[in-house]
Amino acid sequence: MAPDPDAALMLAFQGGDEAAFRALFEKHGRAMMAFCQKFVKEPARAEELAQDIFLKLYRSADRYSASARFTTFLYRIATNHCLNEVRRGEYRLRRDPAPADGDGEPQDLDSLSGPAATPEEEAHGRALERSVRSLLEGLPEKQRAAFVLARFEGMPYEEIAVVLSTTVPSVKSLVHRATVAAAAALAPWTPLRGEEGS
Amino acid sequence: MKHVREDLTALLDGALPASRRAEVEAHLAGCGACRAERERLAAVLSACAALPPGPPPAPGFEQRFYARLAREKGVRPSAWRRLRLSPWRFAVPAAGLGAAAAVAVAVWQARADRLEMAQHLDLLENYVVVASLDSVESAEDVEVVTHLDELRGAKP
Repeated sequence: MAPDPDAALMLAFQGGDEAAFRALFEKHGRAMMAFCQKFVKEPARAEELAQDIFLKLYRSADRYSASARFTTFLYRIATNHCLNEVRRGEYRLRRDPAPADGDGEPQDLDSLSGPAATPEEEAHGRALERSVRSLLEGLPEKQRAAFVLARFEGMPYEEIAVVLSTTVPSVKSLVHRATVAAAAALAPWTPLRGEEGS
Repeated sequence: MKHVREDLTALLDGALPASRRAEVEAHLAGCGACRAERERLAAVLSACAALPPGPPPAPGFEQRFYARLAREKGVRPSAWRRLRLSPWRFAVPAAGLGAAAAVAVAVWQARADRLEMAQHLDLLENYVVVASLDSVESAEDVEVVTHLDELRGAKP
């Protein structure tokens, strides 16, 4: 296995190197906020959750073992924290049949579709985003977590199994069921290859 | 051959063992329904990959975290470590709380028992008086007996 530079930073932090912890936050903090946004709607709340997760990481550093990938350790903390947040129900994503031209929330349009996006592409991106939110809200929590880790974090099934404390066959089933649900929920945004351009 | 739908997402994710992947691909070559399902699931993967990123953090993201970290470190980190390293610190207060709760429950139960007994004694006293009159024959009569005190209190 290739050496994990993040693991080296974590071990340095265990040894008292605070700069190593800062390096980890600077590398993964924004990605963690993006991950949290799959569980809560408001960006400010997602930032708060990402902060919580890194504070937990700070506190539990001595439980980290170099035998585990750093991201596995981090996402295990993060997934548990986000699912707890969802369970509390305070910040559940709303099923919002918002108008097709937007829902009035502040959005960074450049970040949604890139600087070259046309208005049609921007509208498509927003509508797809809303459909994904609605889909995620409707999934059972383990399916939701497995789907987010596989689809948006690009995590292999073996690593997801460790993060969710389950088996690889279970992850395979969770991801598949969520993807089947997504095929129905996202049908308007997922033209089959044969239909494109028609 | 049995359909292979349950394996299609794993196939698309490159998560099937080589031997199983070969079986699934052989099935797909001859099964239009499973091929259509694979296309449907592949479209989901493409849509998710095309999902625009969420809004970036507001400016000052790192600074806000470091400020919060500094606040939390200033107050709690030594306490976190003490609590984590010394679980026995929980034991004495927990045992004390448990004992206090047990005493409170016992006192409350004893009081409730005395009250119930007192009510029964009152009823028994009245019952003895009324029974001597051969007037208690039904549940309704018992109800009357339980309210004899009120009747007694209503007398001038």
